[in-house]
Amino acid sequence: MKPAPFEYAAPRELDEALDLLAEHGDEARVLAGGQSLVRMMNARQVSPAVVIDINRVPGLDTLGLFGDNGSSTLRLGATVRQRTSELSGEVAAYAPLLAEAGAQVAHAPVRARGTVVGSVAFADPSAELPTALLALDGLVKVRSRAAERTVAADDFFTGPFRTSLAPDEMVVAVDVPAAPGRTGSAFVELTRRHGDLPVCGAAAVVGVGDDGRVSHVRVALCGADERPIRVPAVEAAVLGADGPAAFTEAAAVAADGTNPIPSCHGSADFRRHLARVLTARALRTAFARAASPKETTDA
Amino acid sequence: MSTIEEPATETRRWVGQSVPRKEDPKLLTGRAGYIGDVVLPGMLHGAVLRSPHAHARILSIDTSEAEALPGVVVVLTGATATGYVDPMPAFCAEPVEQRAIAVDRVRYPGEAVAAVAATDRYIAEDACARIRVEYEVLPALVDPVAAMDPSATKVHETLDSNVVFHRSLDWGEVDADLARAHTIVRSSARWHRMGAHPIETAGAVAHWDPFGESMTVWSNSNFINFLPWAFAGILRVSTNRLRMIPCTVGGSFGSKHLITKVISITGALSKACGRPVQYLEDRADNVAANDNVGCDRIYDAELALAEDGEMLGLVLRIIDDYGAYFQFAHGQHGNAVAQPVGPYRIGSLRYDVSCVLTNKVQQGFFRGAGADPGNFILERLVDKAALEMGIDRVELRRRNFIQPDQFPYKIPTGNIYDSGDYEAVLDRALEIAGLDAWRTEQERLRAEGRYLGIGLATCQERSGYNASEWWFLYGDEAPLPATSTPESCKIDVDAMGGVRATIGCPLWGNSPETVVGQVVAEEFGIDPSSVSVAYADSTSGAISAGPGGSRVTIMLSGATRGAARTVKDKMIRVAASAMEMDAEDVECVEGVFRAKGAPGTSMTMAEVGMRAHLFNDGTSKAESSGLVAVHTYDHPYFTPPTDDRSDLGAFYPMVSHACHIPIVEVDPETGEVTLRAYYVVNDCGTVMNPALVEGQVVGGIVQGIGAALMEEYRYGDSDGTLETPTLREYLLPSMHEVPEIVLEHLETPSPFTTYGVKGAGEGGRLVAPTAIASAVDDALRPLGVWVDELPMTPERVVGMVADAREGRR
Repeated sequence: MKPAPFEYAAPRELDEALDLLAEHGDEARVLAGGQSLVRMMNARQVSPAVVIDINRVPGLDTLGLFGDNGSSTLRLGATVRQRTSELSGEVAAYAPLLAEAGAQVAHAPVRARGTVVGSVAFADPSAELPTALLALDGLVKVRSRAAERTVAADDFFTGPFRTSLAPDEMVVAVDVPAAPGRTGSAFVELTRRHGDLPVCGAAAVVGVGDDGRVSHVRVALCGADERPIRVPAVEAAVLGADGPAAFTEAAAVAADGTNPIPSCHGSADFRRHLARVLTARALRTAFARAASPKETTDA
Repeated sequence: MSTIEEPATETRRWVGQSVPRKEDPKLLTGRAGYIGDVVLPGMLHGAVLRSPHAHARILSIDTSEAEALPGVVVVLTGATATGYVDPMPAFCAEPVEQRAIAVDRVRYPGEAVAAVAATDRYIAEDACARIRVEYEVLPALVDPVAAMDPSATKVHETLDSNVVFHRSLDWGEVDADLARAHTIVRSSARWHRMGAHPIETAGAVAHWDPFGESMTVWSNSNFINFLPWAFAGILRVSTNRLRMIPCTVGGSFGSKHLITKVISITGALSKACGRPVQYLEDRADNVAANDNVGCDRIYDAELALAEDGEMLGLVLRIIDDYGAYFQFAHGQHGNAVAQPVGPYRIGSLRYDVSCVLTNKVQQGFFRGAGADPGNFILERLVDKAALEMGIDRVELRRRNFIQPDQFPYKIPTGNIYDSGDYEAVLDRALEIAGLDAWRTEQERLRAEGRYLGIGLATCQERSGYNASEWWFLYGDEAPLPATSTPESCKIDVDAMGGVRATIGCPLWGNSPETVVGQVVAEEFGIDPSSVSVAYADSTSGAISAGPGGSRVTIMLSGATRGAARTVKDKMIRVAASAMEMDAEDVECVEGVFRAKGAPGTSMTMAEVGMRAHLFNDGTSKAESSGLVAVHTYDHPYFTPPTDDRSDLGAFYPMVSHACHIPIVEVDPETGEVTLRAYYVVNDCGTVMNPALVEGQVVGGIVQGIGAALMEEYRYGDSDGTLETPTLREYLLPSMHEVPEIVLEHLETPSPFTTYGVKGAGEGGRLVAPTAIASAVDDALRPLGVWVDELPMTPERVVGMVADAREGRR
């Protein structure tokens, strides 16, 4: 389990990193936390000719709130560690789903190195953070030498470990709109073992109106399809609901039309089953939290 | 995480104490000396190219591009390796040849097809990536039942059938017991293949000397002092020109007895280039191609009971998927028939076993070694009988336990159980588990729609294995006679009174130095920390089968005490001579030789040592100078099997016992099983060292949790691809899956062994899987679930719930 030979570059400016990407394109891989890339290189599942280590690039470790007049956005730069995000007061206050999902990623030593953006860019269809970003209506900030663009999370993920990134592009940050009042969220998952990638996971963001009914809702799943997915049919069924009873019924369609990737940890059918069970649980908890912010768990 | 009640120590000073582990400082600081630490001048590094196919013909191999890579010294294929090494030794009677590197045909995914030695491991792996192999893919045999079909593709053309071994043996009046039974409980069961997965993989350094035609091999094999001639045979070196040096083993769990393929590949590479070569499996090598995955069994079983619940007879029909080769023959069934009837007075047994070859890596040994699924099926049958007959599961066990006054007890197969008090163990386990409180909690949670379960299993742990079990089911055609499976210790006391013990077994992850230190300390009355312990290489003549089958503390106790007493007796004679007394009047107390009862005149260890080494004045009855003794301790109790195998003889008679009570919570919607608590009462005879036994039992339970919930080799149904090639797919339990384990001991000493010790190395894993299955059953009883397959993965649990709901089970 030794990697094939590769060149290693450690640029000290973003432009330098982007130059290298422009030059090497498909032959290059960006290294941030390295928690997936290095393992895959050791197994020779990937053998990049050039590894571009962005950890020395200044400014990519930004974590904070920007914007004002009620439309503030939380930004996490490309080298912000998962552990930093998980423990951040701002993330807890403005995107608690990201903190909750993040705390379920692997183990603390892995999160101390792994980055939020790295997980998003890696686009593992089973991973928690891309799914949380999707449920949060997050945005992916992309740069190349030539241009800068912002991609909605839903347009970013295109398949298993595939994204809409061009070979000369890298993700420099993700943006998450801060949650409005009376919103609750939840991330629930089934893992084979503590800290493993989930077999299936469900993220829900539920807003409750003054009438006590669901005023807005977003549900996203991991492990249920070839990429992290939103589940519009469930969202539509839940809108206007006024209590947990409606959620189980709505969740019954969570797996309709999905195409889960089977593995030794769960067949496609089992993943569909879990999608329904976990969607209902995530909705119940998110709703309870929206209704009463003290509520933390689903029985 | 767990607690131990201190056992009674009688009058012993050191045996029975939690003496600090001698091995710990070097292990904890990484200085113990593993294979990876062996560095020789000019040493090369090996890597192996493995087959991606489960079954294929090798049409051609082109190594030219690999050989051209700078740093590559030698590339071997199966064909070229035959110029240096011979096939693997095997203990089977059937013609199943295995080579370390496949020739012409690969028979399992991960089988070696080429090996490289290069100046570093990176280059060696780069070279493997440049070897071109052309395969003709053959149909893969994945399902053992399908492989039994006479029309199935054969794994070995030398065999008539993929059923490499079949035998059906009746012990006792099986048919009569079935006929007179009031109830016959029937259960199928599926136990999937699991593996040991030690942190350190198998590895070797081989150094061929072409001038002396001799070979030196460093390895983490266990059998360097048991079967050194077998390695010489593979390496094509004469037995007296092979030196095998033990290295510290970074975990084994039974999986590194022979590791012949690794030693063969390393030796072949060294012979081919005349330089020392190191080859240490990486994780991918070890998961795919280790020779020691455990049992892979399909059971069809019946337990016959009288109306009052008396267990009369047992029928076990077994199909066991052995994979592509048969190196240890039916070994894991020899093991299972040491205790097939558990702690119960079952009068008859039918054991019908079919060993089937398929396109998977071969079975070898792994903690439990065949008795693990045996305990699983038996305890499942007992629980099922309790349910079907409406007898409480605890009461049913009580009615059938072998009673303390019945020992030594001969079971139907002929094996002997030495001692035990099973009811006392059960009673104490029920007490410490606080069962009433858990039943109350179970009721409370059920009202909330939550499913708590209380498991119970009462199982045997046969210990002190005898290697005859690998081949004795053959009967008349057995390739080898019964073996004494010995263990040796050399003790020498130097001129300054320093005591050194040299043992034949390697440091295999257990604690031989600590145990030997305790025994020497016990015999001389000195402090164990003052005893030095060294490991013998294969030129020392220290015959040793080493650890395995929960034997090493039993055997080392016997060997060490024997050697220590011989030396001590000579020291008494020397001291008596010097002090002008009769030897009968001299004793050794706390390292001092003195007159019995009148401690005035005395000599220290050093005084006796100096005199014995250099100042033999001729008065000590013509004994020569020096204080050295080797004691080889043969298996303490074995009797040969009869030719017709109607009596297998005593071969595994030191029988420990345990009752496990795990508490689980099950989520029937997701299938998740969480352990809430775990209670154990264990009886392994005299507890040599409570801290060591705690480590063994707790570690075994952790592996048992893996067996119950997550561990399983999986192969693709259609093409036989290994679907669990890394530890991301093959899951081992972590600390997060382990609850607090509360452990107590009862002690019924063995009448057969030194100090009365019995084995404790496998019990945790032998009992935990079936105990946890029983707990999951108990949790899901309201849903009608019956567990008959391990591991209980989330998907299987959800499937069992659905099957029960729809009446499919």
